[in-house]
Amino acid sequence: MTFIVFFLLLFAAVPIALVLALTALWYIATSGNSVLFDSYPQQLFGAVESYGLLAIPLFMLAGELMNEGGLTSRLINLARIFVGGFKGGLAYINLVANMMMAAIMGSAASQIAIMSRAMVPAMEKEGYSGSYAAAITAAGGLLSPIIPPSMLFVLFGVLAQVPIADMFIAGIIPGLIMSALFFVVIALIGLVQEYPRGDWPDRQQIKSWLWMGIPAASIPVVIIGGILTGLATPTESAALASLAALLIGKYIYKDLDFSHMPEILMRTALNSGMVIMLISAAGVFGWVVVYEEIPQAAASWIADQTSDPFVFLMMVVAVLILVGMLVDGIAALILVVPILLPIAQQQFDISPYQFGVVVCLTLVMGLLTPPVGAGLFIGSAMTGIGPMQIFRSLLPFLAATLVTLVLLSAFPELVLMLI
Amino acid sequence: RDFRLGLITPPPHKWTQAAYAFAEDVKEKSGGEHSISVFPARQLGNEAQMVQQLQTGALDMAFLTIAEVSNRVPDFGALYAPYLVENIDQAAALLRSEAAGELLNQLPSEAGIVGIGYGMAGMRQVMSRDAAQGPEDLVGKKLRITPFEPIRDFYKAAGSAPTPLPLPAVYDALANGQIDAIDMDFDSILIFKFYDHAENLLISNHMMFPMVGVVSGRVWKDLSKEERQLLQTSMRKHLDGVIDHFQQQEKLQEQQLRALDKVVIQEVSKDDFAAAIAEWEKIWSEKAKSLPRLRQAAAEIKGS
Amino acid sequence: MLNTLSDTIVKIETALAAMLAAAVTLLILLNIVSRALGMAIYWVDELAIYAMVWTTFLATSVVLKKRQVVAVTLLVDLLGERTRAWMQCFSDLMILVFSAGLLVLCWRWLDPATLASVDFDIKAFQGDTFNFVYSEKTNTLGIKKIWPWLILPFISISLSLHALNNLGTSLKKAIYFKGKAK
Ligand code: NA
Ligand code: NA
Repeated sequence: MTFIVFFLLLFAAVPIALVLALTALWYIATSGNSVLFDSYPQQLFGAVESYGLLAIPLFMLAGELMNEGGLTSRLINLARIFVGGFKGGLAYINLVANMMMAAIMGSAASQIAIMSRAMVPAMEKEGYSGSYAAAITAAGGLLSPIIPPSMLFVLFGVLAQVPIADMFIAGIIPGLIMSALFFVVIALIGLVQEYPRGDWPDRQQIKSWLWMGIPAASIPVVIIGGILTGLATPTESAALASLAALLIGKYIYKDLDFSHMPEILMRTALNSGMVIMLISAAGVFGWVVVYEEIPQAAASWIADQTSDPFVFLMMVVAVLILVGMLVDGIAALILVVPILLPIAQQQFDISPYQFGVVVCLTLVMGLLTPPVGAGLFIGSAMTGIGPMQIFRSLLPFLAATLVTLVLLSAFPELVLMLI
Repeated sequence: RDFRLGLITPPPHKWTQAAYAFAEDVKEKSGGEHSISVFPARQLGNEAQMVQQLQTGALDMAFLTIAEVSNRVPDFGALYAPYLVENIDQAAALLRSEAAGELLNQLPSEAGIVGIGYGMAGMRQVMSRDAAQGPEDLVGKKLRITPFEPIRDFYKAAGSAPTPLPLPAVYDALANGQIDAIDMDFDSILIFKFYDHAENLLISNHMMFPMVGVVSGRVWKDLSKEERQLLQTSMRKHLDGVIDHFQQQEKLQEQQLRALDKVVIQEVSKDDFAAAIAEWEKIWSEKAKSLPRLRQAAAEIKGS
Repeated sequence: MLNTLSDTIVKIETALAAMLAAAVTLLILLNIVSRALGMAIYWVDELAIYAMVWTTFLATSVVLKKRQVVAVTLLVDLLGERTRAWMQCFSDLMILVFSAGLLVLCWRWLDPATLASVDFDIKAFQGDTFNFVYSEKTNTLGIKKIWPWLILPFISISLSLHALNNLGTSLKKAIYFKGKAK
């Protein structure tokens, strides 16, 4: 019955956050545990009350200021100097930018939000279809939890009590495999569908783009430098980036008009609020489900079906794609790891590193699959392109991710080699 | 009936293991009439959220850090008095003492929970990125703590800048230098290899880290005498096992750390922190009325 | 009347959310600077988190009112204009159900009636109800947790107003289509 209510609300186009929040309410009402009603408001609040989520408004504002201050367009021009004349140049740039961003950001949801607003308009202007541009950006977001640092890996390290640095190292080869597969996918799609070809800039343009690009290129330097010098945490580095973007946009490019600040702040507040609310509602939903011990029952069922570690991992992947559909990375990780990890380690002798990489990647993949993929909706909200359109363009990338997951599940060495 | 027990530690942690063993025990002793589902790793929420659920009766039991409890009942801050005890054996003895047990009597009226007994984790130590001979080398340093008042006041008094940071963020923050030092126990230092980026260990044993096993007041009220007896006896037994475990493990882990070439060890004692302790007392003798009583109990333990 | 009230509230909510979003960034900058100067401020992170929480709930109220939300429109897009208008009513009704439900739950949670009946004596209230909501403290800010929590009853009221207002509008539209069909 709960499932029916859930899908009814979902397909009636009720806002997703409320679908989750209302389903949780429904479930409490029908489960007989009405005592949970008394904790509901506090859980709703508590799900948002997390240091990790601060990255979302911080990076959103940095992104808005970079767009508004003319930094994004100049960064893209800078990249055009090197790949502008190649067919599909911007598609590759998008992926490389995402890989770099992945090394800074820990959260796929926030990465998709920020990169969509930066890259998609530029790609559309160049002649790419909006849905394809959004799909590449969303796929790039999949790299976020794999390429270190990764909020999911950090949390997994604490949950599994393994050193976080080793967890990061475990992600290197899987991250490279996935990036390589994504490049192959972009190249293959290029064979079927004609990518727009930009023009190589002339000498004059090169000079001006290079010159104008230098201040904008200081943003990644500020972010990475802030972290490496110990000035700021990765989350805090976004605030430094905002400050730098504001100064550069206002005093160097002179594109930023302070009278637009209320508008910029409003967009930041509304967009990040939308994303965080989704995460919060998912947190409450997860709390109710765990309280009722549904994941616990599912886990012991899976464990009874097989004795082969590879089959077990593939079943976990199948189930977690479903979980990832509903619940965002961090909330989902807290939900499933304490339940599944002991089984994986004790019954199947699976290394926590291999398990961690597979689980984190799968959960993020769930962000991009319908019916409820927070990543899809965020990408859609930031670009105005329908989530299903994005999903169709995403299919080849999701297939590549699945291939990665099969490889990682079958060959633990891929994860363990460097540790 | 089916009880629910929540705690913040992940499945491999000793506290969680004890919770599972307790659940097993109760099931067996009650002939399958009662069972306990364990929710580790803050699956039902952080400690504040768990306390709220204990108060409404949504959650039946929990293992809580004293940090969370002292946030509601300041008297529990007395257990964090610097050098209340000087080593893990004294800590174990004090937590088993009558004086510590009496503290629990405040819980029902002040927090709506019933305290059953104490467990603990290892003694608190300091790890620093820069060479550190003693407390004077921590002055002005950004030192990571878990955010609760007694420990903040101690480090403030010692002249460092206490910086609250969640455990997942600590490794990175040490690596990048957002913080200079951490307040930590041997167990976590070894598990998360914090010595990778902070090689200087001050073995200070400056504070103990108690945990308390509790039952929801609402739930307790409705239990029969036999049921209370069963839960109390069994939970106490397993909490006691936790204390034993850390007592034994502490010495082994100290040896393990001493055996590591890169870790530079310096021992510091109560006298090195004398000024900070005096300052701390000024603040907390007001807030924590049980402090003299605990000090006396500790003195008896040290004397014996 | 309702329309004006809802519009006014949403303007205030938007402005507040924008200011709080700015506050989040400024607080984090303060954190960086104060730490760099060796004077780390204990409570900044927690304050920044509460600013973010408030931003989130205020923004939720605003985007729900403006219907700028993420939803699965897969099925709804296939429907005719008239049915779609009714679906909009349903969606608005569900927002109302949620916000009114949240209001009821907040009322149960904060129990203001009992609190008033014991003349706002918190000890007596706790003794009566076993509800410790008013003595809960924040971790580092040194204030009672009830202050940040108040955002929940606030948005449950404002969102109820918005939802009621939206439902009125969408009902009118649905009925108009019905009339047109005849
Ligand atoms: Na990353
Ligand atoms: Na999904």
